[in-house]
Amino acid sequence: MGRLRARGLLLAVPALLIVLVPLLVDDRFVLKVLTFVGINALVVVGLALLFGYAGQVSLGHAGFMGLGAYTSAYVTVRLEWSWLAGIVAAALVAAVGGLLLALPSLRLRGHYLAMATLGFGEIMFIAFVEAEPLTGGVDGFTGIPYASVGAFEFGTPELNYWLVWATALLSVAVAYNVVRLRPGRAMRALHGSELGARACGVDIVRLKVQVFVLSAALAGIAGALYAHLVGFISPSIFTLHFSVILLAMTVLGGTSSIAGPVLAAALLTLLPYVDAILPGVPESVATFLSEWETDIYGLSIILVMLFAPGGVAGLLRRIGARRGRSSMEREAA
Amino acid sequence: MELSELLQFAVAGLKNGSVYALVALGFTIVFASTGIINFAQGEFYMLGGMLSVYALQALGLPIVLAVIAGVVGTTAAGVVFELGAIRPKRDGDPLALIIITIGGSILIQSLTRHALGPDEMPFPAFTPGPSVLVAGAAIERQTLWMWGLTAAAVVALTVLYRRTAFGRAMRACAIDRDGARLVGVDTRLMVTASFALAAMLGALAGVATTPLTQTAFNVGTRVGVKGFAAAILGGLGNPIGAVIGGVILGLLESMSVAFLSSTYKDAIALVVLLLVLFVRPQGVLGRREKEKV
Repeated sequence: MGRLRARGLLLAVPALLIVLVPLLVDDRFVLKVLTFVGINALVVVGLALLFGYAGQVSLGHAGFMGLGAYTSAYVTVRLEWSWLAGIVAAALVAAVGGLLLALPSLRLRGHYLAMATLGFGEIMFIAFVEAEPLTGGVDGFTGIPYASVGAFEFGTPELNYWLVWATALLSVAVAYNVVRLRPGRAMRALHGSELGARACGVDIVRLKVQVFVLSAALAGIAGALYAHLVGFISPSIFTLHFSVILLAMTVLGGTSSIAGPVLAAALLTLLPYVDAILPGVPESVATFLSEWETDIYGLSIILVMLFAPGGVAGLLRRIGARRGRSSMEREAA
Repeated sequence: MELSELLQFAVAGLKNGSVYALVALGFTIVFASTGIINFAQGEFYMLGGMLSVYALQALGLPIVLAVIAGVVGTTAAGVVFELGAIRPKRDGDPLALIIITIGGSILIQSLTRHALGPDEMPFPAFTPGPSVLVAGAAIERQTLWMWGLTAAAVVALTVLYRRTAFGRAMRACAIDRDGARLVGVDTRLMVTASFALAAMLGALAGVATTPLTQTAFNVGTRVGVKGFAAAILGGLGNPIGAVIGGVILGLLESMSVAFLSSTYKDAIALVVLLLVLFVRPQGVLGRREKEKV
């Protein structure tokens, strides 16, 4: 019981801190960057379930984000439906796309899904450029309204920040429940031995497909939130490069963890803005970091896999285990 | 549509098909020796072209030497990648290895951009001259080079696999790694050799295409996906299947341009990939395998 309460506290404290940020930060730019952290975190929660629990990787989640963003933009601007309808449509379209991709790729053992998602992301990029009547082509889609419910509009940076982070924290809560309950146990069994899990009556294909569809839907929602936050979307945002960044966040965050990848998403998103967030860091450092961003991601993915496969989560667990051991030693003494 | 026009589309299809075949062979060779999909395969294609351009323009080498430098340099890069990033983790789980190749892919791409620049680069045709006319269809001389080099690579691979002790050791390693190790095959060397071969074949395709298409640091990804689709079509791990899969995919693409539209030509490969995975995952030529406990 005590452990459970400690765990609840462990979640409640960061959540409270996140909620309080807009009251402490009055720099609009920083607040916007922190809102982007929330959007990336939302996608990474889905990818963390997919990677850490179902043992699959995706190189196409920028494509799902784009799918959601364009869907919501079309529904709210061209069809003039409400924002809520746009978000729901974005989630549904992305989920259906995920289902069509996952069904053939996940029926087989091995990692065909990764390559299929890579191809999917490339094709979504081509589609965003070519399907001009729907997407606005290379010039992008402009004039997307702020999020609103009824007469209430999320018109300020603070309101948008809270909207995005409320969604992100909700997805974290959903993910924790997925992990703790039956599907999570089945997923962990799957990671240990696929054959063993199957022998225990786990329908692994169905489970993997469900996790993938959930992650695609979360990416679709994140894309829609982005579209309404910025008001403008274009194909150059939803590229393979962005998919790789999302994957890097997930991988650096570590396996079998939600908090690790979310933390990694925050760190990596803030990295190019380090001069704006930490006082005293010269601008040249930030310029260097954004110029060599991709090289750093590529190298760190390799290094983490070679030397610290647990990622950030593994590091946290190791620290936690040490503290647990030392308190036990104290009790024994 | 007239016959000569159709023939022209067939020539284009076979031209791209030879590229897909070489890239698919790279996927298949690495898959056979390691059991993983190498996401850096497309980058070997890119490196072949980019390094040759560098050797020609910056080092001032003649065309022949520049081509050889591009292929040799890429092969060396493949070996370095295997020794540095794959070998330390070789008996790790496939997911980790695949993620390492994804990291390697973006690292190679990004380092190339920093070292050689972000621009599109041209390379002269191996032998300049007018196109050859066959039954009303024009075939560029460079296309003949691509076919010739692909055929030569396939013949050389066949000789290597069937006639040499080294090739037989590679095949043994692909069939059963532990068994091969028991009879004295250096399986670690075979994995390194498979990466070297895959890099060499990818580079060959890359440098042979560059006179027709130009090259840049980011051309590898799309060719990688298509080469993989070709490898799946022919049955992953089957070299003959890889070549046939490449040719079929190239023809499918050019015929879709001929009869449908060119806008979504690049989507054909993914549709083929998903259809094959859904209907016949062992590939068109492959045999169904039973999974052992």
